[in-house]
Amino acid sequence: MDETLGEMLARRGFGRRSLLKFAIAMTSSLALPPMIAPVMAANLAKAKRRSVIWLSFQECTGCLETLLRSSAPTIDALIFDFISLDYQESLMAAAGADAERTLHEAVAANKGEYLLAIDGSIPVKDGGVYSLTGGRSNVSMLSDIAADAKAILAIGTCAAYGGIPKAWPNPTGAVGVEDLIEGKPIVNIPGCPPVPEVLSGVLVHFISFGRLPDLDDRKRPLAYFGTTIHDQCYRRPFYDQGKFAKSFDDEGARQGWCLFELGCKGPVTHNACASLKWNGGTSFPIESGHGCIGCSEPDFWDAGGFYTSLAGGSSAGWRNTGIALGVGVAGGIAAALSGRSKAT
Amino acid sequence: MTDFGFLADDGIVDALLMEVAGLLHRLIERGEAGSIDLRGLPLSDACIATLEQRLGRGEVAVTLTAAGRSDIHETGFPGVWWTKHEDEAGRIIALLIEVAIVPGILCADVDDIKRGLDRLPGSTNFSRRAA
Amino acid sequence: MTLLDFARGPGLQAAWLILIAGTAWRIIGVLLLRQRLHLAEPRTGIAGQARGAVTTVFTRFIPRRTFWPRIRVSVILSVVFHLGLVIIVLGGAPHIQVIQQFTGLTWPGLPKGVIVLVSGLTLASMIVMLLRRMFHPVMRLLSTADDYISWVTVFLPLLSGILLSGETIASYRTLLALHVLSVELLMIWFPFGKLMHAKLAFYSRAAMGINFSRKGAAT
Repeated sequence: MDETLGEMLARRGFGRRSLLKFAIAMTSSLALPPMIAPVMAANLAKAKRRSVIWLSFQECTGCLETLLRSSAPTIDALIFDFISLDYQESLMAAAGADAERTLHEAVAANKGEYLLAIDGSIPVKDGGVYSLTGGRSNVSMLSDIAADAKAILAIGTCAAYGGIPKAWPNPTGAVGVEDLIEGKPIVNIPGCPPVPEVLSGVLVHFISFGRLPDLDDRKRPLAYFGTTIHDQCYRRPFYDQGKFAKSFDDEGARQGWCLFELGCKGPVTHNACASLKWNGGTSFPIESGHGCIGCSEPDFWDAGGFYTSLAGGSSAGWRNTGIALGVGVAGGIAAALSGRSKAT
Repeated sequence: MTDFGFLADDGIVDALLMEVAGLLHRLIERGEAGSIDLRGLPLSDACIATLEQRLGRGEVAVTLTAAGRSDIHETGFPGVWWTKHEDEAGRIIALLIEVAIVPGILCADVDDIKRGLDRLPGSTNFSRRAA
Repeated sequence: MTLLDFARGPGLQAAWLILIAGTAWRIIGVLLLRQRLHLAEPRTGIAGQARGAVTTVFTRFIPRRTFWPRIRVSVILSVVFHLGLVIIVLGGAPHIQVIQQFTGLTWPGLPKGVIVLVSGLTLASMIVMLLRRMFHPVMRLLSTADDYISWVTVFLPLLSGILLSGETIASYRTLLALHVLSVELLMIWFPFGKLMHAKLAFYSRAAMGINFSRKGAAT
């Protein structure tokens, strides 16, 4: 179909004002200057269907689930509709050989123009045998399908940085997309799962302006990952005043005090949870009383425990301390004895 | 944003009013519209309420129904508009102070006009001919 | 593994073990040093010598009036610095948190404003100390690499801690990693340089006290 997005929306009863309103909301979300909104709306109206191929690798399907949770029939959802999701294993009706054929046809028909969305990490150990689709390893599928993609979206912390499969001891050799692919524009949309509005924002930006939004040094969209949870947290005044909850459900916790001492990783976590929140702006972990676990940062599973505050660290343990003490004492005795043997 | 009262700060409100003044100058001298995205700033609910109160209400109030409700009213300062956009679920998706002769979203779009014309009896399928 | 994960994980463990081993080595080494043979009769018994040891540890905190004009600057700088460090390390909420995590002990911290003020004074005293060491002719003559390295390993945690609590100059994550790493550097250097005076001073004062009591001298 050669219909533009504007025509598709008009067909569904949404005039240009709806699109402009959506663009105004998007420019705000993407931290673009408000005067860009009419330009974005005009570009969106003219946009043609963009093919998206979605490959799921070593994942839990949480990222896909979070993106499907737009409840209201908003323009968000329609634009998502408009993007031709040509291949997605959980959602498509086809299976088996039919599904594989769909994939190859989509790649061939949109060579060089399709967006490749990946969720899940990619295991590389033992020839990538720990995650296969139709008998084919993820590593092989990725390098093949990425070759003709216009850009790659690594959705979720697993695809971006390796995520939970990469947690120690990483038995499958899981890595993120950026560790395997070079020479293609990659955008990381981390989070376990990521905030859904971030994906819409990136897609809308791409459709409107033909390129990915500005990225930081970890390839995350600056508009959403430019600040830490700590910077936007509504409990920040309590942090600044030194009012901390000491245990879950104590008086401080009931008063909504800062959760730093209960392990909150907000100060070192970049994401939009504290401003955009979850479930359409309902709440986010800290507001619900649990510290941030830092799920959009690399290696967050191995960052020393969700309930150990940032002021703490790992203990060497009694055994090792005892050994060190023994070594020291032995060394001291040796040094003293050698000293004693010399004449005064 | 959950509010704690002590976050209300007239300093920010004054600064924003000065920015509005600057935008009005630009409108008068160069005819350029401008806007301030209030959700892009670290403002508490109390600050926003104070700001709305200081700007006041003028002669025009518009309710727009397009993919959810929007409320736009001219403030007590002509050319300064308070705009609140909601989605179909009633969630606020944008809150702006717009400085313009009239906010752009109120104007009818040419493509919409053409589509409307097509639906009128007696029209000669204007939009298809022009395409 | 990120730098911060390293700092809070293997780095911290390694630094701790080196600190333990090094401190044990030096203290045992000192305690087992050969003592000069005493040929005279001791003037006091064991109890007296023990009392002398303990008394000396505390009397040496007080500067002697005779020397005061000459040592005034050093003493004041030193008191501000040492007290400042103690107040920051034992009164700062995040430090109490660390101690609680490893020992279970906890106590109320001091208000942040107090810590900020004390940090500023401590920082100033350290800078003055360094300048004095570099430009006072006698200090310059006496100073060794040990002195300067020890200064740097104490200054870095102080500076990085101030920047971290102010959340300025760099991101929180970077500052936290640098602060923890600088503390680990201090822990690793501690047993091997003059910073060991923090432990050894008490032993050396006690030894003097025992000696003087033995001889019947005042302590």
